Amino acid sequence: MASMKKLVTPFEVLKAPHNLALVAFWLVAVIGYWYLSTTGQKHLLPSPQSVLRGLGEEYQEGLVPHIFSSLSLCGQATFWALLVSLPLAYLSTLPLFMPVIQGISKFRYLPLTGITFYLATSPLISSGRAMQVGVLVIFMSVYFVTSLLSVIADIPQEEFDHARSLKMSRWEVLWHVIVRGRIDYAIDILRQNLAIVWMMLVTVESIVMSAGGLGTIIKNADRYANHGRIFAAQLVILLIGILLDYLLSELRYSFPYVNRGSKN
Amino acid sequence: MKHSYKTEGTVLLVENVSVTIGNKTIIENINMEEHNTLRDGHAQGQMIAVVGRSGRGKSTLFKTITGLRKPSTGRILIPSNEINKPIEVQEGTVGFVDQKYTLFRHLTIYNQLKLAARKGGIPDGEIHGRVMDLLNKWGLEKAKDQYPCHCSGGQRQRAAIMSQLLSSGYFLVLDEPFSGLDVGNVEDVKSMLRLVNTSHELSTIIFSTHDIELAVELADKIYVLGFASPSKQVGTVVASFDLKALGLAWQPYSQSHTELAKDIKTAILGS
Repeated sequence: MASMKKLVTPFEVLKAPHNLALVAFWLVAVIGYWYLSTTGQKHLLPSPQSVLRGLGEEYQEGLVPHIFSSLSLCGQATFWALLVSLPLAYLSTLPLFMPVIQGISKFRYLPLTGITFYLATSPLISSGRAMQVGVLVIFMSVYFVTSLLSVIADIPQEEFDHARSLKMSRWEVLWHVIVRGRIDYAIDILRQNLAIVWMMLVTVESIVMSAGGLGTIIKNADRYANHGRIFAAQLVILLIGILLDYLLSELRYSFPYVNRGSKN
Repeated sequence: MKHSYKTEGTVLLVENVSVTIGNKTIIENINMEEHNTLRDGHAQGQMIAVVGRSGRGKSTLFKTITGLRKPSTGRILIPSNEINKPIEVQEGTVGFVDQKYTLFRHLTIYNQLKLAARKGGIPDGEIHGRVMDLLNKWGLEKAKDQYPCHCSGGQRQRAAIMSQLLSSGYFLVLDEPFSGLDVGNVEDVKSMLRLVNTSHELSTIIFSTHDIELAVELADKIYVLGFASPSKQVGTVVASFDLKALGLAWQPYSQSHTELAKDIKTAILGS
């Protein structure tokens, strides 16, 4: 009884096995609800059976190459976004570039449709894939720069003073306090931004369907209102997203000076 | 028993220093002059405490003394390697340890000290030996490969002070080094400061604290920073107490120290 009371007590911390049991309980509850709620004639979600069937069909029709196509798109976008955003954020410490970089950060309020339209008509974009990458890079970069600016602004003054008191030049201060000293934060921001990009995947891949990808699978299934296949593709996107999130989180904690569960 | 001593040469000269940030003057007309204290049979540096209520400009004064902030007026001189040729302080000429004992989060203790030694101009061939020597002397050899986040508060304190000693030489400024420490850590820091203070004739430690009894126990000169008048809220030196001249420096804590602490508290409360 006491342990049941703990479950509904604010800020109560449970033991690890209890937490695991709780996760298992909710998983079973959600799947059970899903199964029961799709037994009638009319239902919001496709039934588990139709999703499994849809998944099998998608696998037969080349799900794996589509996954790799999406991962490749995401990888390319991340690479270019990092190449653009990191130097921009570090350059923000130079008064000359600060107004420009703060301006770039404001571009996150620009609608996706406008950017897509512009890129589609741009003579510099040679292929559909390049346009997809371009859209994602723009989106990822503006959020990445915004988050990095916030990380830099939150660095305690004491860290800069410590570096300066050791006779470091301003460039050395930048290197030690911001670049090397906050590389794990940059990975964490990447993790958060990758979630945005991964979420936008369907939209971007449906702009140019010839390039393939998980978005294309959803778009094709949507044409025939095959909800089982749509749901199956979405589950795949969700699971891969969670895996990427986990991998980046592990990468961050692989730095020996980062404590798990705290931003030291 | 009053210890005999003599003074020789100026080790710190703060002359008419004012700092204005934006439209607000934080400190003005700060004057301090410290001489090298000589005691027979003792390698004895100087230990200076700066006390005063919050918001009187102690941290601003410390950042100015360490060259991290340029004074709006006045100058701060310390001796150079050449006799009788003082130099104005610049970033790094005076070591600075803040109350959080800040270190680089991405470097091990050994690498922090190695970097500090390199910046302090110690030849590459001597760096390892000097760093290991200090690590052994300060009891940190077992923690040398640890990152700051895995070190205890005491280990961080020692590492922060050591890195400043390696890079800056004889001058060390500590902003509230006893703030938030437990009884054991306070004793550790006191021992560290005494160790630094007695390591060289020119070792000069300047620290701030809100613990007046501690200031009286450790320092041989105490400056009180406060507002000259209630109508003008700008920090300046409102009183100074030379414990050497009073015969209280380097003595066990006594009733005379308690009396002095009372006088200092009165000066603080009046400013």
